[in-house]
Amino acid sequence: MVDDQELKEWFCREVLPLERSLSAFIRRNWRDAADVLDLRQDIYERVLQGARQALPAQAGKFVYTVARNHLINRAKRARIVSFEAVVDLDATSGSDVLEPERQLLAREELRRIELGLEKLPPRCREVVLLRKIRGLSTRETADELGVGIDTVEKQMTLGMRALANFMLGGSAKVQRSGVPGLLARRPAR
Amino acid sequence: MMRSQDLEAQAADWLMRREQPQWSQADQAALTDWLDESLAHKAAFWRLEHGWQLADRIGALSAREIALRPRRTSLPSRWWQASALAASLLLAAAFTFIGLRSRPASSPQPSFEAFDTAVGGHRIIPLADGSRIELNTETILRTSVSDHRRDVWLDRGEAFFEVVHIENSPFVVHAGPRMITVVGTQFSVRRDGDKVTVAVVKGRVRVEDTTRGEASATTTVNPGDIAIGLGASTMVISQPVAAVEDTLTWRDGRLVFHGSSLTEVAADFNRYNRQQLLISDPSVAAIRISGTFKASNVEAFVRLLKQAYGLKVDLTADGKLKISS
Repeated sequence: MVDDQELKEWFCREVLPLERSLSAFIRRNWRDAADVLDLRQDIYERVLQGARQALPAQAGKFVYTVARNHLINRAKRARIVSFEAVVDLDATSGSDVLEPERQLLAREELRRIELGLEKLPPRCREVVLLRKIRGLSTRETADELGVGIDTVEKQMTLGMRALANFMLGGSAKVQRSGVPGLLARRPAR
Repeated sequence: MMRSQDLEAQAADWLMRREQPQWSQADQAALTDWLDESLAHKAAFWRLEHGWQLADRIGALSAREIALRPRRTSLPSRWWQASALAASLLLAAAFTFIGLRSRPASSPQPSFEAFDTAVGGHRIIPLADGSRIELNTETILRTSVSDHRRDVWLDRGEAFFEVVHIENSPFVVHAGPRMITVVGTQFSVRRDGDKVTVAVVKGRVRVEDTTRGEASATTTVNPGDIAIGLGASTMVISQPVAAVEDTLTWRDGRLVFHGSSLTEVAADFNRYNRQQLLISDPSVAAIRISGTFKASNVEAFVRLLKQAYGLKVDLTADGKLKISS
């Protein structure tokens, strides 16, 4: 059994850099684009499940195999997906191993961060900058901007998600999903 | 709603709360429980945490490009205003307020700011002109920025400057009896009373003695140079740029020494920590220390002195740690 710290390091180092190519792979092999993020999340979960027994030697091949099996299983269960999709998926095996995102040079990485920031709505961006550059807490940010802490928290989590997604190769689109049920479970502040 | 988005939102909520000062052990335990509930939680959280960390270098971006307004003088900008006020329904008051603050962004009037850090503090200030100032421990600094000139007063402590070159807008650092004039560059200024130390990493700066009137001697400091001004003299030591960078390791919380005496090392630790070290014994004071230390971890350093050098450590009546043989 691999311990959590090791598993996490492996996941960040070997699996997450594959994200852009994994997402493209899912999109290519799945009819409904709206399912891509959920499928990717499921694949990550299964990847962790497998790697927890022993870290695989070749992360790319392993993730690809997990992804392929998961798509086939889902397709079989869904029944609405055409059979060709599955056949297609089988045919690609071997030639379609995932490629990690090229390691960015420091300057490119900065450019990337800058681009990601530009794509954020202005409120999100300001809150993110106050956090990342000046290290302000949400309370301090709320005081600084003269708005309520709830507003800051909301913008902060939206900004975090959009920027993190962008840094991992996504589009930095702000996902405005609420968190029903979470408020009930968090400890009182 | 999609499951993955819901999970991501939960992970973001945890991550945001973990960065707050009031994060407690109970909170940490709750997060651990949540993570242990399923590998799906771990995948979502680790992924978000990693992506968010990848953006940590935002601080290295020039402030001009990201247009962050400086602290304290800034009033809430219009869109914040709008949302805050829409909520509070004080619309009449709002229009007055918005009207009052709508002055042009680059006014000819200089804007004054004051910044400080506590013992062990470290803070980065982006200036409106795109320059950045990084404050080290126990530092007080004031700025005045206008279209045609930028002035910084280092009242105490140490700061690292990354200056954006702007035609016809000199950048001047006033450190007590020394005035440092800059053309786009990276350098640090440290002030211990009247002793002023200027270390240049990139570009070139001019150090002037302001106490001697018009005919004052000016000294040009190049990359790799460290200028030390005390009284009437300014001494320049040329060093490899790497050695100059060693004096700047405080920027990432480290102290680096190459054969410094224990007295010097202790003085440096004392700048970063409330727990002060006291070296009175001359034979101990002369011990040479090399190595890299975490500036905030004075306990580890003291432990090293005990174990590696067999020194004695006693707590004095006024709460200092006295090191002796």
